[in-house]
Amino acid sequence: MSTQSESGFELDTLRERWGPRIERFKRGWDRYTTHKMGVAGLAILVLFTLWALFPDVFAPHTPEWKAYIGYENTRMSPEEVNSLPHPPAFGDPFFAPLGTNASGQGIYSMLVYAAGSALYIGLAAGLLSSLVGVPLGLISGFYGDTWIDETIQRIVDVMYGLPFLPFLIVLVAIRGVNTTNIILGIAVTSWLNNCILIRGETLSLKERAYIESAQVAGASDTRIVFRHILPNVLPLAFVFLAQDAAAAILAQASLAYLGLADFTANSWGLMIQNVQAHNYIYNAPWWLIPPGLAITAIAAAFYFIGFSMEDVTNPQKE
Amino acid sequence: MTRISARYLGKRIVVSYITLLVIMTLLFALLRSMPGTFISSMITPEMQPEQIQRMREVWGLNEPLWKQYVNFMVNYQTGEFGMSPTNRVPVWDIMIRRLPRTLILFGAAFIVAYIVGPLVGMYLGWLRGSRKDKSIFASSLVMYSMPAFWLAWLFIWLFNYELGWLESTYMYHQFPQFEWTVVSTITNVLHHITLPLISLAFVNWVGVMLVMRPSMNNVTEEDYVFLAQAKGLSERTVMIKHAARNALIPVATQAIVGLAFLIDGSIIIEQVFSWPGIGQLIVNAVISKDYPVAQASFFILAVLVVVMRLLTDVVYTYLDPRIKFGEG
Repeated sequence: MSTQSESGFELDTLRERWGPRIERFKRGWDRYTTHKMGVAGLAILVLFTLWALFPDVFAPHTPEWKAYIGYENTRMSPEEVNSLPHPPAFGDPFFAPLGTNASGQGIYSMLVYAAGSALYIGLAAGLLSSLVGVPLGLISGFYGDTWIDETIQRIVDVMYGLPFLPFLIVLVAIRGVNTTNIILGIAVTSWLNNCILIRGETLSLKERAYIESAQVAGASDTRIVFRHILPNVLPLAFVFLAQDAAAAILAQASLAYLGLADFTANSWGLMIQNVQAHNYIYNAPWWLIPPGLAITAIAAAFYFIGFSMEDVTNPQKE
Repeated sequence: MTRISARYLGKRIVVSYITLLVIMTLLFALLRSMPGTFISSMITPEMQPEQIQRMREVWGLNEPLWKQYVNFMVNYQTGEFGMSPTNRVPVWDIMIRRLPRTLILFGAAFIVAYIVGPLVGMYLGWLRGSRKDKSIFASSLVMYSMPAFWLAWLFIWLFNYELGWLESTYMYHQFPQFEWTVVSTITNVLHHITLPLISLAFVNWVGVMLVMRPSMNNVTEEDYVFLAQAKGLSERTVMIKHAARNALIPVATQAIVGLAFLIDGSIIIEQVFSWPGIGQLIVNAVISKDYPVAQASFFILAVLVVVMRLLTDVVYTYLDPRIKFGEG
């Protein structure tokens, strides 16, 4: 009997604690869905996430599939090889809705199978730069105008002086071209914006009355930062996360174009780079255009979500 | 109008200089942390041990690390970039030849982006929330999301390959029979610069617009805008003379960050259009493992960023009458 009442009690406190938050989330969600742009961005992102999770459902073949021969370990005839890259074909002589590339892989299947790596790079780089930038911005803002703030801001200043892409090129060239190094390289420079903007927000939040009352009540600095300031800057942090994710995906594509992509992992940037490597820029639009559109779509989706969220978190701006 | 004190300027210059020193230190550490040594890429299997030893001496690798560091810092600040092992010419000569070309493309793109961006941002901020604002804003975000090199290829395909209007490689005609008069040179360079310029500006103006739009929107709520409207001034006058001028201030701050993005963009665009500038050089140098050239190009680009930042900083403080001088 006692356990039942206890769990009932826990449920009540749980409801009490989370109720307002769920309410607030619902209100935010309602406001968010009034932005057509944000809804569109979310829809694109959901589609790409589904591609990444269940590629076999969406793609007719795996990337190992080859035109004419399918999965068999045989050779194509010379005429067949000459017909590659093949424009879109629907069943005759094979099924490839967006055509094939120069080695006979289906463009559409490759697009679907590369969605995962684009999402991974975007989210990992975005998360990583938030994990560095947000705490540093919080600390810098909370201890504004002290030596701590001064030190962090000087570091940010110097890092802004680094030319970003050259730095990334040199870093990746030295440390080795693989996805992890590319993500790390992107995060090394992209946390700066987060740090500066979160610092600004913290500086203004710090002056609010409820922070002062918490200080008077004897709350420690750590408690104030994590319980009172962090929840208020989190929505903003998500905005920057979305923007960083978009920037990271574009940066990876640029690196791939320059020949600094992980050639063992299929990615949209690499697909475009291959068009050039095989010299088909002017002759195979079905190969050149879809991966570029996919990159544009996923980056735009992140930007759409980011800017719609910014409107939701800053209602006074409307 | 001596609004900027010598003291303020001096302080900014010192800070920029220190920034550069730190970046150089970072560059030094980065290149020394490479697997192998600085010259391993230049050593061929046929080399005798004495040759390798001599090479190590030439590149100063036998000296203690601190001495190498001091030499590096002194040499770089006096323009001694060493020799390029692949081109067999002093790196300094390559840099001097390539820098102006990068500056032409970069400067032109900078001007275009910072004219178009604020103008569009001004209109969108003024019309904020309207249907027009939403659709233009969304489409410019789509432009912002396009991979620059892919977009450049589409432009080349359309304007060069299909229509044949504009050139897509190098900076001018490389044929000896070309007549080098002033007019023909200018038209020739214009013929070559248009496509890279459009590709570069097409993506980069959006970054400026993204700052101008909310800034403009904030300004429209200010009293002086209401006052101007109440005076019966035309919508256009209020928007341009009263609101936009004040909304421009954050754009100057953004320029500091925007510059770095423009440099990134110009590296990619130089590569696509074989524009013979520093951006193309650094990529080729890294790929062919020509480290002295890669290092020097990196350094030049860093100097470019730091100097441009100093300039925008000074212009910004000069523009904003609310900032007090000589105190900061």
